[in-house]
Amino acid sequence: MKFKKFSAILLACGIMVGALSGCAANKTADGNNTKAKQEELVFVNFRDIRDLNPHLYAGEMYAQEMIYESLVNITENGYEPCLAESWDISQDGKVYTFKIRKGVKFSDGNVCDANAIKANFDAIIENKSRHTWLEMMNLLESVKATDDYTLEIKLSKPYYPMLTELGVTRPFAMVSPAAMKDGSTKDGVKEHIGTGPYVLKEFVTDEYAVFEANENYWGEKPKVEKITVKVIPDNQTRILALEKGEINLIYGKNMIDADAINKYKDSDKFEVALSEPTSTRQIVLNTTDDILKDTAVRRALQYATDKKAISDGIFYGLEKPADTLFSKTVKYCDINLTPYDYNKDKSASMLEEAGWKLGSDGIREKDGKKLELSLLYNSNSVTEKAIAELMQGEYKKIGINLSIKGEEEQSYRDNMKAGNFDMVFNISWGTPYDPQSSLSAMRKPVYGDYAAQQGLADKKEIDNAITNILTSTNEEERQKLYSFVLTRLHEDAVYIPLTYECNKAISKKRLKGVQFTQTQYEVPFSKMYVE
Amino acid sequence: MKNYIIKRCLIAIPLLMCISFFCFVFINLIPSDPAEVALRVRQTPIITEEAISQIRVELGLNDPFLIRYARWLGDCLRFDFGVSYVNPARTVLGEIGRCLPATIQLAGFSLIFVIILSLPIGFFCAIYKDSLFDRIVRSVVFMTTAMPAYWIGLLLMWLISIKLDLLPTSGNGTIKHLILPAFTISLTYISTYIRLIRNNILDNMKEDYVLYEKARGLKERTILINHVLKNSLHTCIVAIGMSIPQLIAGTIVVENVFAWPGVGKLCIAAIFNRDYPIIQAYVLMIGTLFVVFNLIFDIIQYITDPRLRRDVN
Repeated sequence: MKFKKFSAILLACGIMVGALSGCAANKTADGNNTKAKQEELVFVNFRDIRDLNPHLYAGEMYAQEMIYESLVNITENGYEPCLAESWDISQDGKVYTFKIRKGVKFSDGNVCDANAIKANFDAIIENKSRHTWLEMMNLLESVKATDDYTLEIKLSKPYYPMLTELGVTRPFAMVSPAAMKDGSTKDGVKEHIGTGPYVLKEFVTDEYAVFEANENYWGEKPKVEKITVKVIPDNQTRILALEKGEINLIYGKNMIDADAINKYKDSDKFEVALSEPTSTRQIVLNTTDDILKDTAVRRALQYATDKKAISDGIFYGLEKPADTLFSKTVKYCDINLTPYDYNKDKSASMLEEAGWKLGSDGIREKDGKKLELSLLYNSNSVTEKAIAELMQGEYKKIGINLSIKGEEEQSYRDNMKAGNFDMVFNISWGTPYDPQSSLSAMRKPVYGDYAAQQGLADKKEIDNAITNILTSTNEEERQKLYSFVLTRLHEDAVYIPLTYECNKAISKKRLKGVQFTQTQYEVPFSKMYVE
Repeated sequence: MKNYIIKRCLIAIPLLMCISFFCFVFINLIPSDPAEVALRVRQTPIITEEAISQIRVELGLNDPFLIRYARWLGDCLRFDFGVSYVNPARTVLGEIGRCLPATIQLAGFSLIFVIILSLPIGFFCAIYKDSLFDRIVRSVVFMTTAMPAYWIGLLLMWLISIKLDLLPTSGNGTIKHLILPAFTISLTYISTYIRLIRNNILDNMKEDYVLYEKARGLKERTILINHVLKNSLHTCIVAIGMSIPQLIAGTIVVENVFAWPGVGKLCIAAIFNRDYPIIQAYVLMIGTLFVVFNLIFDIIQYITDPRLRRDVN
């Protein structure tokens, strides 16, 4: 009898699960077909698009770029018109007058004129404290729509990166005023309505999102009409899904590991693309440390670091060795600096001169103190650990005892900010925030840079020069100031540049036009097409 | 009998209290400041001291530890688990409610795999003990128990989806999407239950009643199916029942590999984002499930097995 009872339970379970999966079967959305259709592009990300409200910071930038637009675009040729057709900057650099493009409509049919843009500025300014990381927020005096197609922005001081800050994805992207909650966006928007080339058609949290070409788009219509973004958190699964044809593009800095790139480099089914450097992987030296406060020691460490070995051994040469804090491709950074080329003997003799003599145990000593340093890394990053281990071996050879310490991300950041480190891994902000925003942040105790630079004799001078850069109105003077700051930081040897990170993409051969833009988080879908 | 059930239920209450307390304590032991974490996960580019103190007040972090615990516990009892740090527009309850059906579906499907595969295989292993079949199954069982689920998952994906082109690699949607992850999860449990069922049946076969039945001249088949199997199943039902919360908790890794939108994936994402309210609620939920299922199957076993009832009384 009891056996019957058991089989009854079994049967009930079976029916229940059957019913559940039945529900699932009905749910199949067209965005979820196993094989990608011809005109469709299936992109993948490790998480979903999240909250796309561009006036806050919780959404995926590539998706915000598809839906929303700013006044200007940042391109490799400088600033290009977008919602603003043209602009004037007053002689003193304080007043920006934008001529707004006529005939632009939001995807809900509302007109995007100076009044709509003014409404956006109002909504952004309402939540000012969240945006003060952009210096211009602090300098903003007024925003006015002088007529339907003219917008005037007044600053209290001239500020040269103004257009860059208006051009980055957020927060200055324009939302349809009808989608705001009573003219406010700080608590979210009703719908994601912008002027961009795509509109959001469907979104299933944690599963997928479907974008379709915006029929009212003012600019050139994108060739790919439908873009599906799938969520696959696992690295390996993404690659397998690409192999099977369920997706046809993987794109991003951390979406593909070097092994995968290497595997598909010569494949005839897939195309691999690498961008110009986007950001710099570096080690920050703490100049307040007893040992590292000596510039000679810091320079010796520069010579002792084999960047080529890191680039080849850990990145298969995909991330090129870095000579300077910012790559020469970054604006204002193509200046003549002599890189610290790997030279073990030079490093050893410099340490010798600085008084660090080899002890009997192979570790250098000075006044009874051993040359011992610790290197802090983020234990979530396999790459950083591998680099740290490689450096540990290299440094040992010249008599430096490097202990390496991994900590989970949050505590790694806490320690970095508080200056609790001898040496620590860091990555520059990247394009388009390099160099101005990265340098600007060095003046405040928000990142490790501030703490690390406290031991520099010329810290004040450097900070003043950075402040002057931001308010400079003259290109030549600005370049001079940049050269000064970058040269000082280079000669002070505060940073050991390791490699330049780059954006990576793997796509099906049939997908053409896969390229990179100046803003590292944007995926330029509108330039892609399927052959 | 009523007394027994009431007693068991009463014991569960302090147990649940302990779970909630440890869950709260451990999250609070993490050295990072939750206020700063909350700001960081909302991707505020530069975190200022003012913003931190503002968030501290908003999240009620300035109160003493025990007050915060009492408040949290009180909220939990009213099914209010707070809001996600990452996306304050979403409540934790809503997030778990959204993801739970997918996980139950996956766990339920795995359970079916477990039952329909481990029962017959375990049964035949016992009857044909030490045969070639038994030895092969035993070595396979050892292997699958030792292999991590995410690795098996990737291998299966490669074999079934890419090489044989039979099933989709990942995602949610049709029943086809369900087969690979469910099978991956069930593999570990199948191995365990094959051994359990096999040993149970072997033990039962040595019992006196089997000898008597043989003496009574009952057919071998009748003895095995009607008596030995039935008696062995008691323990197995309980073991399988208790493994249901394990199945739900065990989806955590597999869901990530197969991009299955369940609570496991939610929890992993929360761990990466330091989304404390979600982690807390997840741990509390799994802990509660273990206690509840333990309770239910203890009672079921008590009801169905007369020998136990006699002992307790």
